[in-house]
Amino acid sequence: MDQFLSKLPKSAVADRRNITARVAVVAAGVVSPLGFGLSETLESLQEARDCITRVTRFSVAECRCKTAGQVSDERLLSNRSKADRAQRLHRASHMMISALGEALAQSPQFKPELTIVGTTSGGMSYGEDYLRALNRRDSLRHSPTWIANYPAQKPVLDAQETFGISAPCQVIANACASGTNAIGHAFECVRSGRYERILTGGYDALSELVFVGFDSLQASTPEKCRPFDRDRTGMVLGEGAAILALENLDAARARGARVLAEVTGYGMSTDNFHITQPDPSGIGPRRAMERALQSAQISADAIDYINAHGTATPFNDAAEGKAISELFGRVPVSSTKSMMGHSLGAAGAVEVIVCLLALQHQFLPGNINFRAPDENIDLNVIANKARPAALRTVLSNSFGFGGTNASIAIRKFEA
Amino acid sequence: MSLGIAGMGWITPLGSGVDLVWERLLQGEEATAEKITEQFGEQSYSAFRVPNLALANLPPHPRLRRASLISRFAAAAGLEALQTAGVEADPRNTDRIALVFAISNGGVIYTKRFYRDIVEAGAQAASPLLFPETVFNAPASHLAAILGITGATYTLVGDSAVGLLAIRMAEDLMTNQELEYCLVVGAEEVDWLLCDAYRRWRLLRLAPPVEPFSDVSQGMILSEGAGAVLLARHGLIMIDHIHPGGYYRRRTEAEGVLNRILCDLSQTEIDLVVSSANGTFIDQAECKTLRQIVPEAFVYTPKPALGESVGAAGLWQVIVGAQALRRGELPPVLHGAPTIPLRISALRMSVATADHAIVLSCGINQQIAGLRLRKESETQII
Repeated sequence: MDQFLSKLPKSAVADRRNITARVAVVAAGVVSPLGFGLSETLESLQEARDCITRVTRFSVAECRCKTAGQVSDERLLSNRSKADRAQRLHRASHMMISALGEALAQSPQFKPELTIVGTTSGGMSYGEDYLRALNRRDSLRHSPTWIANYPAQKPVLDAQETFGISAPCQVIANACASGTNAIGHAFECVRSGRYERILTGGYDALSELVFVGFDSLQASTPEKCRPFDRDRTGMVLGEGAAILALENLDAARARGARVLAEVTGYGMSTDNFHITQPDPSGIGPRRAMERALQSAQISADAIDYINAHGTATPFNDAAEGKAISELFGRVPVSSTKSMMGHSLGAAGAVEVIVCLLALQHQFLPGNINFRAPDENIDLNVIANKARPAALRTVLSNSFGFGGTNASIAIRKFEA
Repeated sequence: MSLGIAGMGWITPLGSGVDLVWERLLQGEEATAEKITEQFGEQSYSAFRVPNLALANLPPHPRLRRASLISRFAAAAGLEALQTAGVEADPRNTDRIALVFAISNGGVIYTKRFYRDIVEAGAQAASPLLFPETVFNAPASHLAAILGITGATYTLVGDSAVGLLAIRMAEDLMTNQELEYCLVVGAEEVDWLLCDAYRRWRLLRLAPPVEPFSDVSQGMILSEGAGAVLLARHGLIMIDHIHPGGYYRRRTEAEGVLNRILCDLSQTEIDLVVSSANGTFIDQAECKTLRQIVPEAFVYTPKPALGESVGAAGLWQVIVGAQALRRGELPPVLHGAPTIPLRISALRMSVATADHAIVLSCGINQQIAGLRLRKESETQII
């Protein structure tokens, strides 16, 4: 095959674009084990509640880990419409509908041009139902519902349909960094001037396949989740959905929208060390955080708090802790996964909302179940309780399988 | 912003390599369907599989040792795209190449095996080796590791429109002037489970042929493989407009969404359209809209010859469109009825004067996307 570029001039000039727009968060909605909506989430964070419970959705009898952060079905499904369609939707769709509904209630005029959402497993539990029924030769009467509601884009489209939104959607599946990658990419799209308004966030619902998968890797713990603790033994899973409405700040001001915070920087890196383990040097997280600072045009000492990925696995916390400590020294750090579990594709988005609440209400969320510092990780961990603090700019980290690392900078809005 | 196609890679049931597959399409060849069976299903299905020989030249890499087929397809296509562009990934430019991966069903073979072990023998039987391969971004991770990419790597999930949505995402990423290239790869692997699911969804027929734009939709045949397009800021074939895409809530709305997208893309005179017609319900909406908006354009669909490769399909169509403009020929449309009210040809035909093509992807799960290709004249380039 001939070379495509063989006839190109060497001095070709690239299309240049100014990157000047500031990016506002004008609305947010969340559902997680911490609660339904921003108010309940804030209350749980300020009280440093442990929202991890025994898994009830499937049998965990043969698993090492028995617990997870779970969203109450009773509450999640209580408000759904009686229409057949609503009855058939996956739990993930209901979480997305709830989160999007809360966000749009704050900014009803928000009309997105694009929706970018992260997930890892879509409607996985419907896939499980289908395979289990086939394998056991059970009735496949419900299989059209399972199959139609399995695809990863379906909960996003369901939520949009519920509120009459027809924006095209991009669903990012970058494992546990998906939510942060989605928000980060949305931020860059608005900042570049190509878009004015984007809906973004992440979702994931607990599924047996994923739960057992992490258990098989011995990444999940039979004990409490203790991020950055000397005796940490692993993660607990969670679930949830979070949505942010991002808008060009000038456009938001022009229409009189309330600005909750600003997204100011985003960095990502790919760490090719191993598909499930980070490079122990911490180079992947470090590059992502450095790039977020560079993107925000700030130095490390401008960061007042880091919401760490902090899964409480020995490998993650060692690599992340090393990177944070080398770059930021003694900045306050917590992993709020200790309270709500790791909601995978939703985690980054839920944790950006945690950061947003911390900025709005000027407090540092706690890292619960913390007993003893790890002598190999020199971090200023916000142990066990939330505490008041003056916060201006914070960072939220998410890292995932496949070596994806993402970091996002959020600033308190000052008009 | 316009993007140039700097290189392409193609792994299909008709073999591997852009030149080889293109020649076989021009000859009017159709992939051979294989029967797929499964222990827990009585029904067998037909699918177009990638022949084993197609991966014979894939260089060994530790990441591919246990990787699923989909990752191998992606690696082969991605490497070919870089090779044809004359680009070597090395530590000096690995931050300057982004990777966007389009996928629909993902590593379904390992996912099925992993979960079946749990269902049959309990959680204790779950394999920690298989689990990481079930994650949607596993193929992208392997490819990034093989190429040494350390910057932006994204996996996008969707239906058969996802390949074009991935190219749109690449365009968004390329607004960052630090990036020199964006490698967009779409890949899919076939399994009985997928065939069964699509059949129960009334989208799959049991055996070929795939009859495009048929009055009564008979269904599609699934296929597998990968397509890769290396995007740069210049090229002999430019992607000069990418619609951000749309979605339809009900099947009856598909025509309206298609109409908007085609109107947007056909502001310039369009010579040919690479359609996504695959024998399902969506073909009728596509046919009506094409007839209405671009009645003079020649229409080609590769799916009767290659099958529906879902996550890879959009990339395959872009490769077809780029090849048609570069080579000035269109392959014959297979199994199209003579009554189809579009300009399609059952014979290989010359499109030597064509310089604009639309690639349209109508997904069967609500997503629709489209883009426009332009052939640069030698004088424009030099």
